[in-house]
Amino acid sequence: MNETVLVLTLAAAVSAGTPLALAALGALLSERAGVLNLGIEGIMLVGAVTAFLAADASGRPLVGLAAGVLAGAAFTSLHAFLSVTMRANQIVSGLALVIFGTGIATFLGQSIEGRPLAARLPRTSIVGLADIPVLGRVLFSQDVVVYGTWVVIVLAALYLTRTRTGLALRSVGESPATADAVGIRVAAMRYAHVIIGGGFAGAGGAYVILARVPAWAQAGTTNGIGWIAIALVVFASWRPLRALAGAYLFGAALRANFALQAAGITAVPAEFLAMLPYVLTIVVLMVLSATDTRSRLGAPAALGAPFVRDER
Amino acid sequence: MTSWFGRLRLEKRNAPGTGVLLLVPLVSVVAALLFGAVFLSLIGLAPVAVYREMLRVSYTTGYGIADTLVSATPLILTGLAAAIAFRFKLYNIGGEGQLYVGAIAASGAALAFGDRLTGPAAILLVIVAGALGGAVWIAVPALAKAWLGTSEIITSLLLNYVALFLMQYLIFGARTFWRDPESATFPQGARIPDATRLPTLGTTRVNLGLVVAVLAAVVLYLLLTRTRIGYRWRVFGDAPAAARYAGIPSRQVIVVVLLLSGALAGLAGATEVAGRAGRLDPTGLALNIGYNGIIVAALARYNPLAVIPVGLLLGGVLNAGPALQTLPGARVPVAISTMLTGAILLFALAGELFVRYRIRMRDPADVEELAEQATTAVASPRAGTGPEAEA
Repeated sequence: MNETVLVLTLAAAVSAGTPLALAALGALLSERAGVLNLGIEGIMLVGAVTAFLAADASGRPLVGLAAGVLAGAAFTSLHAFLSVTMRANQIVSGLALVIFGTGIATFLGQSIEGRPLAARLPRTSIVGLADIPVLGRVLFSQDVVVYGTWVVIVLAALYLTRTRTGLALRSVGESPATADAVGIRVAAMRYAHVIIGGGFAGAGGAYVILARVPAWAQAGTTNGIGWIAIALVVFASWRPLRALAGAYLFGAALRANFALQAAGITAVPAEFLAMLPYVLTIVVLMVLSATDTRSRLGAPAALGAPFVRDER
Repeated sequence: MTSWFGRLRLEKRNAPGTGVLLLVPLVSVVAALLFGAVFLSLIGLAPVAVYREMLRVSYTTGYGIADTLVSATPLILTGLAAAIAFRFKLYNIGGEGQLYVGAIAASGAALAFGDRLTGPAAILLVIVAGALGGAVWIAVPALAKAWLGTSEIITSLLLNYVALFLMQYLIFGARTFWRDPESATFPQGARIPDATRLPTLGTTRVNLGLVVAVLAAVVLYLLLTRTRIGYRWRVFGDAPAAARYAGIPSRQVIVVVLLLSGALAGLAGATEVAGRAGRLDPTGLALNIGYNGIIVAALARYNPLAVIPVGLLLGGVLNAGPALQTLPGARVPVAISTMLTGAILLFALAGELFVRYRIRMRDPADVEELAEQATTAVASPRAGTGPEAEA
């Protein structure tokens, strides 16, 4: 593998990691509020199909992105309603979102099946930084969403650790009864963060269609990266900055098959290389639960449990 | 709070009545149809006409009913796979992948040994191979859950993608044992020997798989409600702490329940291969039967017997989408079925609140008094199950 291939692969890993980072941030915000959202894959698909339709109609990729965010948030409000107000089983509700989202996306995407999107996100190099050898090509010759992801990740990290609302959010996820007793509106906090999280997952889906895949291909558009994003939250111990780093690592795994093919390694069939990111995620989850107790302790204590004031 | 809304109070039900248990799924289906109507109108179709057509193709003609039964067969099995696991708070959402591997194992066994066997032995071979394949595919998540505490949710799900790639490799990726050597331009699976095919009912495509599925449901129901094993599993699922004190080995329960769940999904793959398809057919198998099994299980409230009617209902809905495509001038998206089933599940989940709680409008003071009485009076073990969402 020569240097150009390496640089291109790393740049592709950053781009491939971006939807993972956005979706993981969405899942993370929801989980910090104590609501498990397994629906990420479905939300991403809804975000992606909406982004395609909006970008195609307007001819502007950023309009597509905005539409994807809004659609993701609106769609996720179903999960917020079911898990907060209706006290439904969050695991099943999240799965319902995946199945329903896949259905909606396939339904709405029937007319655009296999069609390439013309209004794709353009590359926007950062003047000055893009000329740095290697690093410039890998990090600063990307598109605006890649840079935007850094901003929202840093803001989310600051929000969680340095603001009053962030502190309130964490208390809602750790001990909703205590939060409730000190006057924090648990249900409102949960609604807000589940829905905003859905917006980020929608953005991740929108980015997949606007920058990653060549055409709409039904459920194959996201191909399970929503699930990898959920695993990433555990990997990141529920911290945004670690989630970003993890996303690039998994982004590299997603790109590994192309890199190996480019390097002339064809002994391993493409199907087996495609399995790699999924198998890697499983192995990472197993190793984490076997060795790193801190990663388990990082989980919000009230994760998955509905809060009912009079049922303590 | 002064508004009437603020005075709504939720009161936990001790045991839900039969009325509400039947009403919730029915209302969910109706609500989902209304919801789907909005989408159909959006793309310029008349909802009533579409639904009438769906009803016609799936439930009114003899051919349609037969097709619905064929669709329902694997759905009942994956529904049971999800029901048995979810009932005990073990969330195996890898039914899809277990079905694929069950199909791979069943077709592999049929191709390898099918020629040497006849009658029941040949069919038994396929069925056992399928169940084993499914069980093998859940083994790693099950063992990791039991010994490392790794959540089975994501591990079982991710293996769906691995199984899909494996199945595609066996047919499209290379000239493997599973692939028909004659098929060069359009690769497809090799036909399994006739002896290993499931017998069909008369001239229809309804096959022995339906009998297997119904039998499995009955056996599971009896296992859960009438045996010591079932009792221990229920204690484990509903009161893990009590199970620990009672000396119920939780690791063993986790592994056995999950392996059984995987075997049932694998069985669905076997009945698809030996029934409908007659070969390993990656495209024909990747129809979300595993995922839809979760919907079936949830609508059936994880009761094995209820899985049968729910499977028949959803089998019809899922059959309607593709069936409508065969009609001349078809304009209804095939995904209408997927969307409707997803919506049914969402509404059923919302309806679950009405199963677990009674809604009362009372004077707040009265309610508090009632609640106090209720907590002291109710000593039945079912009252304290609390939120079901603990992962």
